[in-house]
Amino acid sequence: MARLTLSGLTKSFGGLDVVKAVDLEVTDGELVCLLGPSGSGKSTILRMIGGFEVPSGGAIRIDGEDVTAVPPERRPTGMVFQSHALWSHMDVFANIAFGLKLRHLSRAEIRSKVEAVLELVGLAGYGSRRVWQLSGGQQQRVAIARSLVLEPKILLLDEPFASLDQHLRERLREEVRDIQQRLGITTLFVTHGQDEALALADRIVVLKDGAIEQTDRPSALYRRPATRFVAGFIGHMNLVPTAFQAGRSTRPEFALAVEVSDGPAEIAFRPEATGVRPAQGAGHALVYRVTDFGTHLTLDLDLEDGTRIKAHGAGSIAWAPGQRVEVTPAEVLLYRDGVLLSTEPRTAAAAA
Amino acid sequence: MTDAVTTAPVRMSIQRRGLTGLLLVLFPVGLLGWLILYPILNALVTTLTLRTDQGLVLSLDSYASFFSDPYSLNNLALTFWTTAVCAVLLLVICLPIALYLRFSRGPLSAYVQALAIFPLFVPSVILAYALIRTLGPNGLVDILLNAAGLPKLPSPYLTPWGPVIGLVWDNIPLTVLMLTAGLGQVSDNAVEAARDAGARPRHLLLHIILPQIINALLVALAFAVLGIFSSFTLPYVLGPASPEMMGPYMQRTFADLMQPRMAITQAVITFAICAVFGAFYVRSVIRSREVR
Repeated sequence: MARLTLSGLTKSFGGLDVVKAVDLEVTDGELVCLLGPSGSGKSTILRMIGGFEVPSGGAIRIDGEDVTAVPPERRPTGMVFQSHALWSHMDVFANIAFGLKLRHLSRAEIRSKVEAVLELVGLAGYGSRRVWQLSGGQQQRVAIARSLVLEPKILLLDEPFASLDQHLRERLREEVRDIQQRLGITTLFVTHGQDEALALADRIVVLKDGAIEQTDRPSALYRRPATRFVAGFIGHMNLVPTAFQAGRSTRPEFALAVEVSDGPAEIAFRPEATGVRPAQGAGHALVYRVTDFGTHLTLDLDLEDGTRIKAHGAGSIAWAPGQRVEVTPAEVLLYRDGVLLSTEPRTAAAAA
Repeated sequence: MTDAVTTAPVRMSIQRRGLTGLLLVLFPVGLLGWLILYPILNALVTTLTLRTDQGLVLSLDSYASFFSDPYSLNNLALTFWTTAVCAVLLLVICLPIALYLRFSRGPLSAYVQALAIFPLFVPSVILAYALIRTLGPNGLVDILLNAAGLPKLPSPYLTPWGPVIGLVWDNIPLTVLMLTAGLGQVSDNAVEAARDAGARPRHLLLHIILPQIINALLVALAFAVLGIFSSFTLPYVLGPASPEMMGPYMQRTFADLMQPRMAITQAVITFAICAVFGAFYVRSVIRSREVR
């Protein structure tokens, strides 16, 4: 177990800042997900922690010790790559034992450690297999075992399940979470999959253009995204442009009263927190598309001004494209200039 | 009944496609037979038979003559020595260059690559005369040493080291290109994973990189060895008159001594030795495909 501290971590490639003064504290045994779109700098941060990239500025500390200039082979970190990066000329046992041999452990000790870690990742008895004889999921387990066997202080996972199919990905991420909790190892996990981050992480760090947008627990991040970007990136968020005058929304469909200065803003609400019912009169939205996901129905709705929003519809109602509906959003958030307004809307009801 | 009706046209279509494929490869295969297989068979028949009053009889006398002649054996030994020394030098010179080209990130690598490939564009005979002008008696090196007031160095020109220098220089581009291509199969992540496990540069080379490029290494060396063993121009211009490498020896036996049967025997022996290296190459290719 270990504590990881990033202070003002910066990385530039050819004059372009891809990581901008990132500050982050990861506590003992915590699993933190770095989440962001492609090019947000999440893998670069992980590679700097692993020692594969030299930071342009800032410092990396593990248990208070500055490791910024320490090469990867002497860092107390273990990295699992997206491509598995197994050595095809070695069998499974040799892949896992490689690091232990370099540490001059006895043969008996190596055997016992490798067998224990193979058992841990559910591959007991696979030691003599060639890596190309394994499935993608098994290969990734070997890669995880290869890192874990060296008992690193910090485990770094760089989109480890990106090349696997959905079912396998879900199963493996649960297994990784179990192993991480059992060993209590401090872990940093890079992903661009929000589901993966929400399912795995103790905390999520959302990155955009090399800078941290928000760091919080998954539930807090989902319920109160601090910026418009986070709101749109984590799950689906309906964002409806409006303006406020004398503390009231000028939008007729959403009569909100908020203590806020006059000016433009965006009303935000989740599809699952949006009530929809067939309109008694003219209604204020038109059903554009109905999609049945099995677990729920998603309705794509067009508001009067053409803004398209999503809502979950009751399965008991026969929804049809072109149908007029009334929309009642709940748990409404308000954004101005891309930032969440701390003021809570007093009411969030659709206009009658 | 229905099955028979529906599968018959499919079978005919497959047969027609197979025939088209065969026709497509017929010309290159025919050319291969005419230009390569026929001369080999012809050479074997010529050297293994003797025309007597009783007609054509099987005879190993030309091979017996070659292997009992100390001069021929010395020439063969020199050819082996030159090939082995060149192969070792090529490995020692080209592997570091290829490693640098594969793993360096700076702009300098483009210049190094251009420099390593440069000999590819220099004809062997030009190279030979350039080496004579540089390393030969009263060449550039001698002039510079003399200007500095230093004694002359023994020149490699007309010694076994003359062809070695020329052949190594000549084979650097192909060997570097093939090794760089082989190193391309070693992913950055594979190297980084090894460093992550604690591997230092020496461990990386011995345990991760070399085992993964062993087939590329064998292929590169097989190609170099095949070319060097049967080389002619550089040994002819730079090498000693006696003993001499098999290439110039064959030419002299054929044109100066006018012994075509003996020259063909030397060619068959050279070919047989090269075929062994060729078999190494084929085995390496098959093994790398099996792993893939």
